[in-house]
Amino acid sequence: MDYTQLNSTQRQEMFDAIGIQSIDELFDVIPPEIRCEEGLDLLPALSELELQRAMAEMASHNHGAHDMPCFMGCGAYDHFYPALIDQLISRGEFLTSYTPYQAEASQGSLQAFFEFQTQIARLTGLDIANASLYDGATAVAEAALLSTNTTRRNEVLVASTMHPEYIAVLRTVLSDVNIKITMLDATDGCIAPETVEASMSDNVAGVIVQSPNIWGQIEDWDACFAEAHKTPKTAGIAVFNPIACALLKTPGECGADIAVGEGQPLGNALNLGGPYLGLLAAKESFTRKMPGRLVGMTTDEEGRRAFCLTLQTREQHIRGAKATSNVCTNQGLMAMRATMFMTTFGSEGMSEMASQCWHKAHYLAGEILKLDGWKLTYDGAFFNEFTVECPCDVTKVVEFCKARGFLPGVAAAGRRMQGLSKGNELIIAVTEKRTKHEMDALVALLKEASL
Amino acid sequence: MKILEVVKKQSRGCKPTEPLIFEKHVEHVVGVDLPPLDVQETKVPSGLAGGCKTLPSFGQHDVMAHYTHLSDRNFSVDGNFYPLGSCTMKHNPRVNEWGAALPGFACLHPLQDEDTIQGALRLLYETRTMLEEIAGLHEVSLQPAAGAHGEFTALKVIRAYFADHGQSERTVVLAADTAHGTNPASCTMCGASVQTVKTVDGQTDLEHLKEVIESVGAENIAAFMITNPSTAGLFDANIKEIADIMHEAGAKLYLDGANMNALLGRVRPGDFGADAMHYNTHKTFSTPHGGGGPGSGPIAVTEELAPYLPVPQVMMADDGSFYLDRDREKTIGKVRSFIGQFGVLVRCWAYISACGPNGLRNVSETAVLNANYIAAKLCGRYSMPFFDPKNGKFCAHEFVTVPQDLLDKGVTLIDITKRMIDYGVHPPTMHWPIHDCLMVEPTETESKAALDSFIDVMLQIADEISSEIELVIKAPLESDIARADEVAAARKPIIAFK
Repeated sequence: MDYTQLNSTQRQEMFDAIGIQSIDELFDVIPPEIRCEEGLDLLPALSELELQRAMAEMASHNHGAHDMPCFMGCGAYDHFYPALIDQLISRGEFLTSYTPYQAEASQGSLQAFFEFQTQIARLTGLDIANASLYDGATAVAEAALLSTNTTRRNEVLVASTMHPEYIAVLRTVLSDVNIKITMLDATDGCIAPETVEASMSDNVAGVIVQSPNIWGQIEDWDACFAEAHKTPKTAGIAVFNPIACALLKTPGECGADIAVGEGQPLGNALNLGGPYLGLLAAKESFTRKMPGRLVGMTTDEEGRRAFCLTLQTREQHIRGAKATSNVCTNQGLMAMRATMFMTTFGSEGMSEMASQCWHKAHYLAGEILKLDGWKLTYDGAFFNEFTVECPCDVTKVVEFCKARGFLPGVAAAGRRMQGLSKGNELIIAVTEKRTKHEMDALVALLKEASL
Repeated sequence: MKILEVVKKQSRGCKPTEPLIFEKHVEHVVGVDLPPLDVQETKVPSGLAGGCKTLPSFGQHDVMAHYTHLSDRNFSVDGNFYPLGSCTMKHNPRVNEWGAALPGFACLHPLQDEDTIQGALRLLYETRTMLEEIAGLHEVSLQPAAGAHGEFTALKVIRAYFADHGQSERTVVLAADTAHGTNPASCTMCGASVQTVKTVDGQTDLEHLKEVIESVGAENIAAFMITNPSTAGLFDANIKEIADIMHEAGAKLYLDGANMNALLGRVRPGDFGADAMHYNTHKTFSTPHGGGGPGSGPIAVTEELAPYLPVPQVMMADDGSFYLDRDREKTIGKVRSFIGQFGVLVRCWAYISACGPNGLRNVSETAVLNANYIAAKLCGRYSMPFFDPKNGKFCAHEFVTVPQDLLDKGVTLIDITKRMIDYGVHPPTMHWPIHDCLMVEPTETESKAALDSFIDVMLQIADEISSEIELVIKAPLESDIARADEVAAARKPIIAFK
């Protein structure tokens, strides 16, 4: 079904109104030599029942967090979210509306996005946030550009312990615009403040450090950003996990000027990597240089509280080549899910969720350490994710567990992680969804796999 | 009671306003619970402990009420005629949502081994090949997250191609004066500069194009970004000639695919000489706009540009299994994390599969028919610079009107559009691509009754301008708020609640 609604009588009435005999007249302007007369080489149309069968069939060939306990993380986490999110987000008034350019017809979306911005600002301990970007990786790139645009400098320092895909995207985005990336080498899985100090210069616009980092280690944001701030105007850019912000010191508490992160953990399904949402918060001084959409609170002509998109002169549809970013479509519906998630849990519920992640991850790490030959790769503090050194080939461990219905974690070596490591590290994430039973079962499997 | 006072003061008409979540917070009440902790606790070191303590919460019923009330303050494709030019606000079939929500799609971790996600990879591979066929181009990348991201990605690919062929000096990109704002913004993100090409009557000015190439120097030009049908809603009859001119200059022709809804199954961009293009799946292939996203912006390119596409690429092996190729030697690298907007692409696959080849052709034909029908019915009252059916001048899937006669009676374009809100019609795109214009795109999924009702609304507003102009000048009279003070919002921005 192509979802059109006209019958032949109606079509004829419309032809008559236009004054044409056939539909082809409307396409006469197209030169014959470029017309696609033979038709598209695609499979014939499917009815809805056939579509449902075909999609269910393809879905049945996938196994994931729905039928295996999932200990995979590295930027995407199997967190719980309440059923009301799927129900509310299905409302056509949210699902099928456009970007709320028309304030009088979009107060619902606008108010929700304003609330989202405020929640993200509070969650990160900063002043303002935008209404979302594509994902965590592109948000990091936008933060780098925000720092170079506001300082007119052309170098950023980047923690080598950041997610390798975020680094890869940053390299792509910065490659043709004359901005230098200087990598900060790690010491024991973290960035030492001395390493930041050694690379600082008047030319550095921003220092980008992710915490927890790719190994799950909690970085010393305070010290790294203190080094950055010894050079006036250099921005401390924190790449954060939004769940961790409910338990551990926030980017703002640690002196960050800009905070960016992957918003997927806030009520969004794993979705094989997307759609997710990029979060971007900053100090107030960045307001007029922010990328992406911003919702502002104002009044209507009769004095009522009202919301509208604001500071649009930053954006591509007004400013063109001089816009702060080319971003137009963002991740509105994902931001809507995130705000519903945060509203349902509040600080109290999110803090409970984050605490459970902390306790469970530490329980599991402790149990794995009791196994012969298994050890933590790094000694530093971690939140919900940690890295272990397998006493045998990590890929065999992963295969062994997978064959027994477990996703034990992410192997750091190999192409998928951009050759992050040639070693035997397994990066294990634990959310509040993992039970003691599942963790004990995983430990038994790891033991068996390494015998 | 404080909340009641807020509601009374802020409400217009009989529909109550909704207080902010920050005004509804109830101490120690949350909307959902978690199971009790089933392991021993580990103390969080005091040096690390902290965290946000100021997110409001309240009970579950009130969470439902909050968002239900907010949803009641929104226009949508489901509930309203939404003729937003260039945005293709077509019906969003719910079977697509049903499919994307299947646990076998929604619960997959992006770093899982390929042998556990064969169904998902097959869906991506089929989507890729369907989009290649519709474009008439060699290879599609599903990576970009939205149209503008697709522009950025494709321009990077084109620049990488030229760099690889010893032509790094090709850093100028041409764009029509009617181009989407994302076109020049994407050029800036790629370190390219933009030269504007004039349009005449909504079509590329070929003479000016040649002049620009002459003055910039053919050897400095990377590409011409063109939208076809143009943003004025017209097929560019000279598109083949334009492609030839660009290729003669050694440059590439880039198609902004925002208006693919007019071409589906009728014209394939590769056949008129496009070297690269992006799709907006949230326009052409009916993935919901979601209040501003998520979109998806797959790009299609010729064989010579394909080696530079971003990674990973979904591939089919000789044994019929599917895998992700992350090792392309000449790739521009990664443009977003993981493997693209998978959940959006599930919906795209479902839509194309539902339509089939004949359905897609009927989509473009009906979209064009609907636009011409409205234009024919309204052109007597709303003047249309490019529409003259008696002389064979039709529009594509959208049309622009510059209602000068009405404006001369003392209303502004904004007045007209705000009055449309009172009639339950979402305002069209305005003041773009030309000043004082409305750009109307009905899409193919509207019924004739809906088209006729919209026509009646527009004629009624034209009547009101003559008879009761105050109704239009003071509009919207019946929406949730009167006109928002956008000037004040920008002067003293409040973008977080204090």
